[in-house]
Amino acid sequence: MASNKPDHYTTLGVFRDASQEEIKRAYFEAAQRLHPDKNVAAGETELFLEIQQAYEILSNPKRRNLYDATLPPEIDVNSVVKHETLFSRSNLVKLGEAQLIYMLLEVSPREEKESLPAPPLNICLVLDRSTSMQGDKMDMVKATAIQLLRSLRAEDVFSVVAFSDRAEVIIPAAFNSDKKKQESRIQMMQTSGATEIYNGLKAGLQEIRRTVDPSRVNHIILLTDGQTYGDEQDCLKLAEEAAAQNIGISGMGIGHEWNDIFLDALASKTGGSSAYISNPKDIQRLLVEKFNALISTYADEVVLEFKEQEHVKINYVFRLQPEGGSVAIESPMRLGPILRDAPLHVLFEFIVDSSTLEEDIVSLLNGSLKISIAARPVPVPPIRLNLKRDVHTNPSPEPPPTRILSALSRLTLYRMQERARSAADSGQFDEAVRHLQNLATHLLSKGEHSLAKTALFEAENLEKMHAWSASGNKDIKYHTRALLLGGQKEKVK
Amino acid sequence: MIICPNCKHANMDGALFCAECASQLAGKDLITQNITTQKFDRANEQRLKNDMYQPFDGSDAWGSLHLLDTGQVLPLSTRNEFTMGRISEGQPIMPDIDLSPYQAYAAGVSRLHAVIKRDGSRIVFIDLGSANGTYINGKRLTPNVEQVLNHGDIIALGKLKLQILVKNA
Repeated sequence: MASNKPDHYTTLGVFRDASQEEIKRAYFEAAQRLHPDKNVAAGETELFLEIQQAYEILSNPKRRNLYDATLPPEIDVNSVVKHETLFSRSNLVKLGEAQLIYMLLEVSPREEKESLPAPPLNICLVLDRSTSMQGDKMDMVKATAIQLLRSLRAEDVFSVVAFSDRAEVIIPAAFNSDKKKQESRIQMMQTSGATEIYNGLKAGLQEIRRTVDPSRVNHIILLTDGQTYGDEQDCLKLAEEAAAQNIGISGMGIGHEWNDIFLDALASKTGGSSAYISNPKDIQRLLVEKFNALISTYADEVVLEFKEQEHVKINYVFRLQPEGGSVAIESPMRLGPILRDAPLHVLFEFIVDSSTLEEDIVSLLNGSLKISIAARPVPVPPIRLNLKRDVHTNPSPEPPPTRILSALSRLTLYRMQERARSAADSGQFDEAVRHLQNLATHLLSKGEHSLAKTALFEAENLEKMHAWSASGNKDIKYHTRALLLGGQKEKVK
Repeated sequence: MIICPNCKHANMDGALFCAECASQLAGKDLITQNITTQKFDRANEQRLKNDMYQPFDGSDAWGSLHLLDTGQVLPLSTRNEFTMGRISEGQPIMPDIDLSPYQAYAAGVSRLHAVIKRDGSRIVFIDLGSANGTYINGKRLTPNVEQVLNHGDIIALGKLKLQILVKNA
């Protein structure tokens, strides 16, 4: 009797050799998501029942054994997504010192781009309306919000929260809403008060939760122009909660007063990143770009769960595309989304301790990739990621793959900027100046004259006044980051 | 340990770029290696000829550029004007003739370096304000001023040397 139904392991989204602990956790996660009290989409109650049935069998070792015996052999090929790993060198070298190795991970949909479904959106725009937003910035924000509102499809949900030291729901998250009325609500927003991001984020999360649904792309776009004081930790906690529910957060900072390190940290908790809007004129373009990216979402999140390998340190992780940004090194590691037209590319830097190099094989990473795809109610089978390298006496003669080289050549500039910044933050101004001057040299050789000039200008500032200019560090950071993406886009062409 | 040739910083083994000055430490000669192997690889050479180089007889090429260092030939056909330079990643600039496979970067070729143009029977060359200059038979060109080219002239874009051969010359 052949059935098209997925086996119980697939239903729960675990491997066949999953421990009881893992099965339990997968069950709780799925049950929370699909509980009849919460679920909204048709067919989810049935799915919930299937998950319960799967858990009942798999949680009992005896029944699990009996069930396993009936299963066809496990097919190792993932039917939904494909992934590729590329290393900077084919083997490690037996050496009495620590060494570096880079790995480029690419995850993309297996199906053709055209046949991929477009999931509906559940978006909340969380807008800073503190006094400093008055004028151009607020006008642009309003106009863009209305434009986005008009461009929505019938199945999308769009809510707006404005915040200063308090939050106000401008448009509640709801289906079938009156768009005319919503437009005038946006028009009537007034600026006043100070910036307290926590309030806005909390209200935004509340709105998005009204219609939160795993079959949608649930996302908060936070737009601010100021620093928030004292509530950063609470905000990060909110972001973690959001991430657990598969709600993404993107941050957009206008002007130069906002805290980019904080906004980056906040967004990266959910696998998102921050964007810099230096000129109010760009608000529209960047918001629309963000929106289009959300509309073309294929998988809202790729998460890497891993166990730390002894004597191997994951030193640096950076998402090269779809949206450049640092990835926080923790398990689970939120790598970011896959767009229909832009696969996920993430670069890892490992430091391998000399003590492991006595072995013949070193395990760099042992874990699995979990992918949540909004348009698929059934969990995607996880991808096992067990990365090992041989240890030889001699380095491999092959040159590193050009894809890694070219990604790294640009990432190196971004990291140079990071180094300059952390050096300046800790008072090492000489070092920061040197990094900026080196950065400028490389920017010049790449033809980035104006950015090189900015770097030199900031180097001079740091040297003379031990401080950055108002927008200098953001200009350098986001422009070197943009170089990364520029290169990627060119490759797609 | 890898000592950076530029700043003498001691980098960890396996580093591809210097952590201190961002100089490239490995795979730098990647492109050159490919070319030297191509030169001896008959199959590749054949492909090269078919793809890029059409001999004068019977083709519509009005001239060709010979790379003096590697002996490769770039035909000039189908249009009357070519911009020359090198494509660099992260840059939207696309010269018609991309010299980056011929070590253009090391030779100091600008991304948009020069234009070669056919104007009736005359062939002219214009430097586009390149960083390292353009030389014809060793004489530096004034930027943005047309200079007539003759069959057999040696052009240098920075240090990259090319010889122009003109059909029916």
